[in-house]
Amino acid sequence: MKTLITFIISLLFSFFLQKAQANTYLKSNFKTGNPEISSIHKMTFGPEGILFIGDSDAAQIIAVDLSEHPKLDNSKVKLDNIDKLIADMMGTTIDQVQITDMVVNPNNNNIYLSINHSSGIPILLRVEENVLKQVPLDNVSFSKVSLTNPIDKEAKDRRGRSLRKWAIADIKYTDGKLLLSGLSNQEFASTFSAIDFPFNEKQESSSLEIYHAAHGKYETHAPIKTFIPTTVNGTSQIVASYTCTPLVVFPIDKIKQGKHHKGKTVAELGSGNSPVDMIEIASEGNRYLLIANTNRPLMKMDFKDLESFQGELTKPVVKKGAAEGVDYVNLPYVNVQQLDKMGDNGFIIVQRESNGNLALKTGNSWWVK
Amino acid sequence: MKYTFIFLLILSSDLLSQKKYDFIFTKDKITILNHDDSLEKKLYLYNGEIEEDLITSTTPILGKTFFQEDSLHFTPVVPLGWDRIYTLVYNHSITYFKIPIPKNYKKLSVEEIYPTSSKLPSNILKWYIKFSNPINRNNVYDYFHFINAKGDTLSRAILPLENILINRDKTLVTLWIEPGRQKRKLIPNQLLGSVFTPRENYRIIISKNIKDSNGVSMQKDYIKSFSIIDADRSKPNISQWHIEHPKKESLSPLIIKCYEPLDYGSVLENINISYKNQIIRGTWELSNNERIIQFLPKKKWKLGNYQINFNKTIEDLAGNNLSRLFDNEIDNTEDVNATNQEHILEFSIY
Repeated sequence: MKTLITFIISLLFSFFLQKAQANTYLKSNFKTGNPEISSIHKMTFGPEGILFIGDSDAAQIIAVDLSEHPKLDNSKVKLDNIDKLIADMMGTTIDQVQITDMVVNPNNNNIYLSINHSSGIPILLRVEENVLKQVPLDNVSFSKVSLTNPIDKEAKDRRGRSLRKWAIADIKYTDGKLLLSGLSNQEFASTFSAIDFPFNEKQESSSLEIYHAAHGKYETHAPIKTFIPTTVNGTSQIVASYTCTPLVVFPIDKIKQGKHHKGKTVAELGSGNSPVDMIEIASEGNRYLLIANTNRPLMKMDFKDLESFQGELTKPVVKKGAAEGVDYVNLPYVNVQQLDKMGDNGFIIVQRESNGNLALKTGNSWWVK
Repeated sequence: MKYTFIFLLILSSDLLSQKKYDFIFTKDKITILNHDDSLEKKLYLYNGEIEEDLITSTTPILGKTFFQEDSLHFTPVVPLGWDRIYTLVYNHSITYFKIPIPKNYKKLSVEEIYPTSSKLPSNILKWYIKFSNPINRNNVYDYFHFINAKGDTLSRAILPLENILINRDKTLVTLWIEPGRQKRKLIPNQLLGSVFTPRENYRIIISKNIKDSNGVSMQKDYIKSFSIIDADRSKPNISQWHIEHPKKESLSPLIIKCYEPLDYGSVLENINISYKNQIIRGTWELSNNERIIQFLPKKKWKLGNYQINFNKTIEDLAGNNLSRLFDNEIDNTEDVNATNQEHILEFSIY
């Protein structure tokens, strides 16, 4: 009997604990319902199982509470021919679906894939025991914010169709702020924004200038392709990579409304290539930057090298396709299309293998020890 | 647009059972009429023609099954495709079906390509492709090609963005010509040269294999031929533009002659006309190969002074905007000083 009472008390305690957790400060303005997501282009996880979804079509960011998904061991995940599998689950052909992003919830190792179907209907999938499951988004706990600048003036042509398009390139969360980079179809320009979370009316945008060592001149207009907020020599910095591959560092506190800032170019990773994604992982007291690329293998850069790099690349790279600046090594993973951190020192990728197989799998953490 | 009238086309049925069922198949829903309430309220749908012994190892199509008004319904998470075979498993029986393309379906076509001119500067930066229907934006760069006079496809001509620039109704695609090749002295430019060469002829081809959001392709390739002239190395200069005044108390258009083609996507939403500090409402259009900007007011023109405000981000075909050149020399500080300049033209109606 005593055991039964203890069990019931435990159940009640866990119920109230869950309720309390569901209403933390960060989720205090969340409501339950349909967030009306038009597209999922980029995703990132914040604290407490909050998934941030970058919706370019509706020019909005949606924060969705996914904390209730169970803790998983996805360390052995392997899904082959994932493009065919997803197409079958949508009842269509491979060319009608596209994996737009992949993220891992650091709290419970759930892997999420965002899918764009030709109909434009966005789909979110979750991996559980090597099986893809849909995450319905029509009745979730969420909050969202409209991106003010991209939709200030929604121009129409004479048939009433919109002309303007603003595409989210990357989003990341850090210390109560959601950071995002993007590109519009109006100007080949670099815009970078910081949005307070929990969401309010405050959004600050900066334009960024970098020295493009591969190009040999000031490149004020290149858009940031992917970035991470991190700590460099004890200060909060953004490490960003562009549509070509200079690696640039600039302080987070420089993102001020309407201000123009010049970043410090610390590496040139070779022209003729575009970065896909980057993550930071730690292993045995060391921190590493992993960068996935379109036309180069997965790169590993030691933060110690990044932090000790004193200079700034201001001269053109003379040797064609050469890399300069902070050293890095190429890891034996080519054609990595998606990349995210898994656990403390692992990583997970979606890779087009040499035999054509598109595989979701874990990377070998031996490479980052 | 929904095509709920589509009816079933059963190719073969009842491999496991002889019982017949009444189905209605549409892209958005499968309905089993007069569902026997004693039967299990489940059905499974599979992509393609799946043989019986492979069904248990095949992943079903995602969707919801529900019972309503004596019928069992299945709604897939995304619409089913036309002209594809599906396998339906219900009450231990297998049904193969196809949903045909409606006979009156208006197939995808290219309505316009901007710039509309057939003579273009060698440093052209952007193209806009306007489609009749919303398109499938996945892997869309596979369907756009530039071909030279020899018939060779130009490599690295288009900047492939992971998240393609397409408008909200998915009918207008923006293509950037590789900026690293269009800017002088950049390594891609030095390595590969400019994408286009003056006095050469080219074609842009939109492959018929591009599909709309319903998965239906175009009927034929769309081809636009053009020739290349010298690069445009100067900013649009509004002081040289000519305004044709509208008539007083009329709805006649205000016409601005620009004398050079402007970039389709950056013009229309970056101009306004103010009268007594109030922006007047109306519609902007481009014509004459984007050399003329036209404004049609909603209300009749009143007597007085008007101000046309141009945003500095208005570009010509080479990406030069009102404030700066796209391809600027490092030591050219002229543009830096010009970035805060206002761009205004005034006119009066007497």
